[in-house]
Amino acid sequence: MDSKKIEELLEKYWDCETTLEEESLLREYFQQPEIAEKYREAAPLFRYFGEQKNKTINDSAFDKRILPAATKKDAKVVHLIRNSMRIAAGVIVLMVAVWFMRNELRSDQVSPEDTFDDPKMAFEETKKALMMISKGFTRAEQETRKINLFNEAQKEIQKSDSEKSQL
Amino acid sequence: MNSEAFENHILPVKNKLFRFALRFLNNEEEAKDVVQEVFIRVWNGREQMDEVQNWEAWCMRITRNLSLDRIRSMTRKRTQPIEESFNVKNYGLTPQESAEHHESMERISGLIAGLPEKQRQVIHLRDVEGYSYNEICEIMEIDLNQVKVNLFRARNAVREKLMKIDAYGL
Repeated sequence: MDSKKIEELLEKYWDCETTLEEESLLREYFQQPEIAEKYREAAPLFRYFGEQKNKTINDSAFDKRILPAATKKDAKVVHLIRNSMRIAAGVIVLMVAVWFMRNELRSDQVSPEDTFDDPKMAFEETKKALMMISKGFTRAEQETRKINLFNEAQKEIQKSDSEKSQL
Repeated sequence: MNSEAFENHILPVKNKLFRFALRFLNNEEEAKDVVQEVFIRVWNGREQMDEVQNWEAWCMRITRNLSLDRIRSMTRKRTQPIEESFNVKNYGLTPQESAEHHESMERISGLIAGLPEKQRQVIHLRDVEGYSYNEICEIMEIDLNQVKVNLFRARNAVREKLMKIDAYGL
């Protein structure tokens, strides 16, 4: 392209009368390394525009991130299926656990001899149980009396000590 | 629109949206967030897509609105301009020339960043992305006259500063 044409285009450019094609011609022209001295103010500007256009999102994972994020409805369906599977698995585990626990409890339970039908027998059973407790208490009381011996001995010692000091 | 159409038609404009958002936000991560949000909005509004004549301009408009919202909600100071990496391989320059080139690119980046917001948007849409005046009207929701006035002011403000730099090294 001759320099006259460039000059003309530049003038039109500054007046905002260039078309898009003419502007891209200018951009192309100023991409070459050898530029006439008189265009020194315009050349970097057009180079700048050209370079800006090459600026891209410098992130290879961007598309992968954007697609599921943007097209959420599709992603939601997948999630729903996945989530319902999770819930179903949880419920099954819970049911199996409950079933095992019940079995375990049933086998552990020793059903006592039924005394409900006979009040006399029930009374006897209760009495027996209470007697057992009471027997335990009496035995314990006897044992604790032995501890009292120590207390008495301590008192005796204290008494004799105080008598000595008085003398 | 299904996700396949979305992937084939909408997703490829991501870089345009990204550059436009970057113009406002000066921060790559924020710009990426905006692009992601735009795509979510487009997907949610896909039922209306048939009524939209120029969906690319529509996406750009959403990008613009979301970026402006983000700027408004950011009470913090504007972030420092990112360290832009300019591609200098094509020119076969010496290290010194390449440093000079890098410097001049940064200078222009600064000049454009210093323009009033509308002028900055218009010059980006026209001179970087190559949109027609009508498309810019649609994206920015302003009339043709305003687009032209803003573009004229933007180009001439940049030109003036470049001439000053050239003449006085300022």
